[in-house]
Amino acid sequence: MTTQPKTTHLYSYHKQHAKLTTFAEFQMPLWYKGIIPEHLAVRNTVGIFDITHMGRAIITGPNAQAFLNHVTTNDVSTLTPLTAQYTTICNQNGGIKDDLIISQLENNKYFAVYNAANRQKDLNWLQQNATTFNAKVEDVSGQIAMFAVQGPKAEATLQKIADTDLTKIERFKCGWTRLADRKTFLSRTGYTGEDGFEIFIWDTPLTKPENATTAWNAILEAGKEFKIEPCGLGARDTLRLEAGMCLYGNDIDEITTPLEASLSFVVKLKKETFIGKEALVKQKAEGIKRKRIGIRMIEKGPNPRPKQEVWKDNNKIGYTTSGTFSPLLECGIAMAYVSTEHAIEGGMVSVKIRDRLQKAEIAKFPLYDSTKYGYMREK
Amino acid sequence: MRVLDYEIPDKLYYSKEHEWLRLENKEIVIGITDYAQKQLHEIVYVEVQKKGTEIKQFQTMGTVESVKSVSDIFSPATGKITQVNTELSDKPELLNHDPYGNGWLAKVETTDPKKDLAKLLTPQQYAEYIKSLEE
Repeated sequence: MTTQPKTTHLYSYHKQHAKLTTFAEFQMPLWYKGIIPEHLAVRNTVGIFDITHMGRAIITGPNAQAFLNHVTTNDVSTLTPLTAQYTTICNQNGGIKDDLIISQLENNKYFAVYNAANRQKDLNWLQQNATTFNAKVEDVSGQIAMFAVQGPKAEATLQKIADTDLTKIERFKCGWTRLADRKTFLSRTGYTGEDGFEIFIWDTPLTKPENATTAWNAILEAGKEFKIEPCGLGARDTLRLEAGMCLYGNDIDEITTPLEASLSFVVKLKKETFIGKEALVKQKAEGIKRKRIGIRMIEKGPNPRPKQEVWKDNNKIGYTTSGTFSPLLECGIAMAYVSTEHAIEGGMVSVKIRDRLQKAEIAKFPLYDSTKYGYMREK
Repeated sequence: MRVLDYEIPDKLYYSKEHEWLRLENKEIVIGITDYAQKQLHEIVYVEVQKKGTEIKQFQTMGTVESVKSVSDIFSPATGKITQVNTELSDKPELLNHDPYGNGWLAKVETTDPKKDLAKLLTPQQYAEYIKSLEE
């Protein structure tokens, strides 16, 4: 049986302008001009990504909050309408089923955005667990187009075609606007480390791509003065890796806990109960054996890639889960899990690349200078 | 000649792994083709085995990395490496900008070049091969 590749509203644009790749069954752009110029556009000005392949669901019902607090590790009760939070869904063993962003749309109504590769798995898990809470989980992935507009000029770009004041939407806050005269939900979040928005063009099924293509073209036009670049999944990956954000399937999975993944800031063990809590409480008490860290190569040379060994002195202390050439730092960078006693910033290690040990340093995320790049940069 | 979007110079010999070979007196010069560099895109690192290394036709003689990928370089000939393009360590992007010129990889001294050439493609054959890949 052959599966027809899935596509987004922008498929004909991507096909015409980009080198395509298959990701989570979707035909997506890998790069348009190239990973390096697209990456640098996001760090220096602004870039736009079509991320309609991601999973989206709306959760409703009087117990929606209690339900989400049961299936996720962060505290959903701290959300108020039009705010968002990063969180994880764990299994009973505390292993990560997915990482996601939950926004509150209004009372008893939430919006979850999760990984493309986990769309069906998450939907099944959420719907299965929602029954006891009498909450409703509706898959809206096919009804809403989703773009990310990221970079220091993201707000200025979108403001030109939005009918509300976007400066009022702070980081991890959301809002409604009309963007290029289309009903749009925005959330000041992203997967690049930069300031920017993830935007959701409402009421836009795949069968009616006009809203999506109109908004996409309007954003490209508005961003022209800032030299906006359409960006593919290649730059999305190098940007998130520099920023220290996890890629599900590489850096986190069902046998990795959020505590090991250095995501304990989204695990609220004070919550009365949630799926995976017992296992996580136990692991916290016993202490984690391995920890996710950042790696920067010291010498010019081969670049680290996933699944390479990390060594310290004459001992193997862990392995990489992601690795690439960093377009901004112009050196090899990686994410790795190493034994907890070696997870020390500034520690000298080696990565085994094609049977040779290459010098590297354990580095703090983000790997770039956060006074010069990223959403916390000095204005 | 130019086939689809790819430059395929005459007088060179080609492998199905997208390396080229040029006869230069008693030596041969080796590189990757325009098709190879366009597929790899944005080359950020190249390494070729050291001067003096004996290499065999269609065996690995190095590695080329783009931002996202790592690929082996297969030698189009058997012989001994006499010179490596050292400029590539600082400027790997030469493989993108000038794959048949300043982006050459290595020079090799061969014992039986005719035997190697017999197993390679002519520009015309390589052009047909590229077309079949793009179908």
